[in-house]
Amino acid sequence: MWRMGLSLGRVPDEALLTGLTTGDPELAVAFVRRFQRTVFGVALAVTGDPQLAEDVAQQTFERAWRHAQVYDPRRGSVRSWLTAIAHNLAIDAVRARRARPVAPEELDALLGAVTETPERRALADDSAERVRRAVAGLPREQARALVMAGIYGMTAREVAAAEDIPLGTAKTRIRTGTLKVRALLEATERR
Amino acid sequence: MECERLRELDSELALGVLSARERAEAVAHLDRCPDCREHVERLTAVGDGLLALLPGAEPPVGFESRVARALGAPPAPKRHRRLRLAAAAAAAALACGFGGWAIGTAVEAAPPQVSQVTDAGLREAALVSDGHEVGRIHAHTGDEAWVYMSVDLDGIGRGPVRCLLVHADGSTVPVGSFPLKDGYGYWGGPTPTDPATVTGVRLIGPNGNILATADFPTS
Repeated sequence: MWRMGLSLGRVPDEALLTGLTTGDPELAVAFVRRFQRTVFGVALAVTGDPQLAEDVAQQTFERAWRHAQVYDPRRGSVRSWLTAIAHNLAIDAVRARRARPVAPEELDALLGAVTETPERRALADDSAERVRRAVAGLPREQARALVMAGIYGMTAREVAAAEDIPLGTAKTRIRTGTLKVRALLEATERR
Repeated sequence: MECERLRELDSELALGVLSARERAEAVAHLDRCPDCREHVERLTAVGDGLLALLPGAEPPVGFESRVARALGAPPAPKRHRRLRLAAAAAAAALACGFGGWAIGTAVEAAPPQVSQVTDAGLREAALVSDGHEVGRIHAHTGDEAWVYMSVDLDGIGRGPVRCLLVHADGSTVPVGSFPLKDGYGYWGGPTPTDPATVTGVRLIGPNGNILATADFPTS
């Protein structure tokens, strides 16, 4: 019912989310089309299983639809809200399926994906690239611990078991990695 | 839990990987310690930033239409239930990491506010008829101003209804008209005037009568 010729491609994210609750199929398609790559990408990265990722992605959109009223633009963008929903659902789905949250080869591949800096992005200075550079600058064991906790949702105890290190060491790696990235981000934000 | 202990757990809390018991103790501390709360909120940006680095991926063919079909399920037939669906949805919590969305805290169901400024550019107000809420209107201000509304009006049938934006001096600007189905309809479109400059909205019926009004908060 977008009757005045406003292209749905130009409708702000918040408006699409609002429109989603009405059951308008045109708005639903536009909403899914806009965010499906992001949502499926998060689900696939965490689960490593395309079929499970598809289930998680679908649940993410259904949850967003049911809880659209909870969305608060002051807390962040619609995209980051959907990302958070997909991330939590993906972690739950993985935990329900297997005891070990992540295979080592999957971790290495993901760590490479989040720290690589393609030439086209090398000069970018947006928030994502600052995080990317900060993570890439961490000692590898700290970056691994940070990705295990922050992306795969692994507890310090699970990180310790996966890396075959004492619990205290796992906690220190997670904490040191997080604080270093935060410090680097704040340093670049102040410039 | 004291500040020193909280700081030992700050990153695990911010990344959402603490055990339930430790998390409960940590959140209880944050409730009474603004300094630690601010510290942990700053750390949550690291977790959010990590997720933003994950590469996008194209879902399987047919995903879009399958999901859209699931979302486009017809609204419940009971009148007025449609307008309450979204508000009722707020009753459930979205459990995320500490500082992420909803902070894992239960969000209680509450009647929607009559009007609010949801962020710097988005205004929202209730459409009211005879003292009852019959719909919501959202207006986005700025260069690409637009409005979006949904209404559920008993006894209006197919409409059509016209939407007028009202300025503080009482002058009105028509922004469009749309049909209803059994009194229910939703519509959106660009506006010729910036909604930041308007104070209210009127919905006009086929006979020129005012069906519903909305008042935007004065900013």
